[in-house]
Amino acid sequence: MSIDAIYSAFERAAEQPLESAKAWKQTHGTRVVGSFPMHFPGELAHAAGCLPVILQENHEPITVGHGMIYPFYCGFTRSVVDQACKGDYDFLDAIMFGDHCVQVLGAADVVRAKLPNTRVHFYQLISSMSDPWSLGRARETFLNLKEGLEEMIGHPIDEEATHASIRLFNKNRQLLRKLYDLRRAGDARITAKQMQILVKSSMVMDKAAHNDLLGRLLAEIEKTKAISQRGMRVYLSGHFCQSPKIGVLDMIEECGGIVVDDDLYHGQRYISTDVDETGDPLDALAKWYLERNLKVPCPTRVDQNADWENYLLDAMERSRADGMIVLMAKFCEPHMYYYPEIKEAFEKRGVPHLLIETEHELNSFEGLRTRVETFLEVVKRQSAARRIAA
Amino acid sequence: MKNYVMGVDFGSTTTKTVILDLKGKMVAACVASKGSISAEGVQVSMDGALAEAGISRKEILRAVSTGYGRRMIDIADQSYTEITCHARGAVALFPQARLVIDIGGQDSKVIAVGGDGLVSQFAMNDRCAAGTGKFLEALARAVQVPLEEMGPMALAATEKLTISNMCATFAETEVISLLAEGQSKPSVLGAVHAAIASRTVGLVARVGMREPAVMTGGVAKNKAAVQFIEQALGAKLLLPPDPQIAGALGAALFALDEVTTPGAGVDEEDQADDTMLIARGCATKPCQKPKEVPLVGPMR
Ligand code: SF4
Repeated sequence: MSIDAIYSAFERAAEQPLESAKAWKQTHGTRVVGSFPMHFPGELAHAAGCLPVILQENHEPITVGHGMIYPFYCGFTRSVVDQACKGDYDFLDAIMFGDHCVQVLGAADVVRAKLPNTRVHFYQLISSMSDPWSLGRARETFLNLKEGLEEMIGHPIDEEATHASIRLFNKNRQLLRKLYDLRRAGDARITAKQMQILVKSSMVMDKAAHNDLLGRLLAEIEKTKAISQRGMRVYLSGHFCQSPKIGVLDMIEECGGIVVDDDLYHGQRYISTDVDETGDPLDALAKWYLERNLKVPCPTRVDQNADWENYLLDAMERSRADGMIVLMAKFCEPHMYYYPEIKEAFEKRGVPHLLIETEHELNSFEGLRTRVETFLEVVKRQSAARRIAA
Repeated sequence: MKNYVMGVDFGSTTTKTVILDLKGKMVAACVASKGSISAEGVQVSMDGALAEAGISRKEILRAVSTGYGRRMIDIADQSYTEITCHARGAVALFPQARLVIDIGGQDSKVIAVGGDGLVSQFAMNDRCAAGTGKFLEALARAVQVPLEEMGPMALAATEKLTISNMCATFAETEVISLLAEGQSKPSVLGAVHAAIASRTVGLVARVGMREPAVMTGGVAKNKAAVQFIEQALGAKLLLPPDPQIAGALGAALFALDEVTTPGAGVDEEDQADDTMLIARGCATKPCQKPKEVPLVGPMR
């Protein structure tokens, strides 16, 4: 299989997640469990013999959904509601919601109302991460989730099956992180679009099939010699529940940026942390939930020991990025509340960054292109001045 | 002999061309208005500038393009965004400037510039025409006043009215309601200009007010717009003799840097690039408009 063919296989799943899940269901006869991003432990649904699929914002204009949700909700929630209203989720056997932000709660209510015959399970995850009771409460929630899945399949989820799923998911994260390492070091040219496709497809494909494709991709990449690239090294930050539009990613790279790293949910945030492969699986998953917020801090969670702005400054240094582009989904409250702290820290440190607000309806990139190009021109001048001064 | 450099600003409604000699003296400037993204406008503007300078295209050593259509200009050796070029042009005209407010046909920008003439921060309206020349054009139509008369008329406003909608279409509805209420055209136009000013204040707030501030772009030729913005900001604005050509001038200055700085122009070797970039920030002397050359060309 050529590199192009491998990427095409990933792209099909990433771009048509529901179609690909439906096809999987038909050929394999498994149940499909849709989940909301960002903290759902897909391992449990997998151990229950289901295909876990993280629901995605799609590219369709929002139409009937407008009757159910206000236009000042983020694009992800509006799109999910619209898909539910259009019957796109009818084939799902269950939908699992977490309450990572207020807007998701609004979407959950509509989805529940629109899918009366679908098992809809709501789980409330503790958002305060460093209290003495945080671990216990997270475990309780995952136990509750496991019981919901068991009720659906009609039998208990086997502990060994859960361990096997954890190993499979860890392997997937490790393979993806390896690709990130190769890109960061300049040993592989993986565009921002390609990286997104790799991670997004992992959210919707069967993990074993995904691992198999990743293995082939790595083998092909190792055979090819990386070509040195010219351009400004860019770190991408932001976008939680929805993947940034491919057009925006391509535009950044067309303007002369090379995306070398990110903290996107459709990126590092999703693959940052592995789950302990030994001991009680629920303990391990609860620990994973708390730990991943320290690995890549999330503004929807509260943790005394995590601070996103310093994480970003360090991450930029690690990836030798020249500048950071923040992609903020319009009306994403957690991001909007946190951003001023990032702005202040970056300005204090003199690290250039550009804020881009994105929205579901964003289709013309011309104005954005001018801003990105100017930003890269500024970054280029500043880093040249720094290099010469040094 | 190739003794000249050219800057072309291919904007959304007009194209501006500036030609400099190798000492940085402006020998021609031409503004052509041929409608949206018009290749014909580019041709007219470049030909006008070449005719004014009395030279042929063969004598242009290097050309830099900017503006909305910057990537569509074949003769350009390099292109930079209008933000970078307007900052460069404005600082060349007013070396003391620390803020550039550029309001063009399609978008408006506020650019903070450092003492070295480099862009340090910027904000741009990138979604709609609120606070731009297009906004004024649409509302001039609603009031049924020729565009060039709306500024002088707005200065005669007697009532302080408000237009709260920033969307040109909704603002048009507001304008029509105000006229239907019997408000005078000057007062309604005063409100239109005040709306542009409040939008500009919002953009300035995103970057942070700095002084002295220069205003560039076509809207800077509208006295009422300048006056309302000055009032809203509580600061005097510096105005170039022809504010429309600042971007083309900036582009021409970048072209000049690239031919006068050793190592520049040998296509983007890293080291040459670095040297060139530093030079762009501070080496070029501010360009003075030659007295004998009119800043605005034949096609306006
Ligand atoms: S975290 Fe942001 S993107 Fe996600 S559902 Fe909430 S508002 Fe939307």
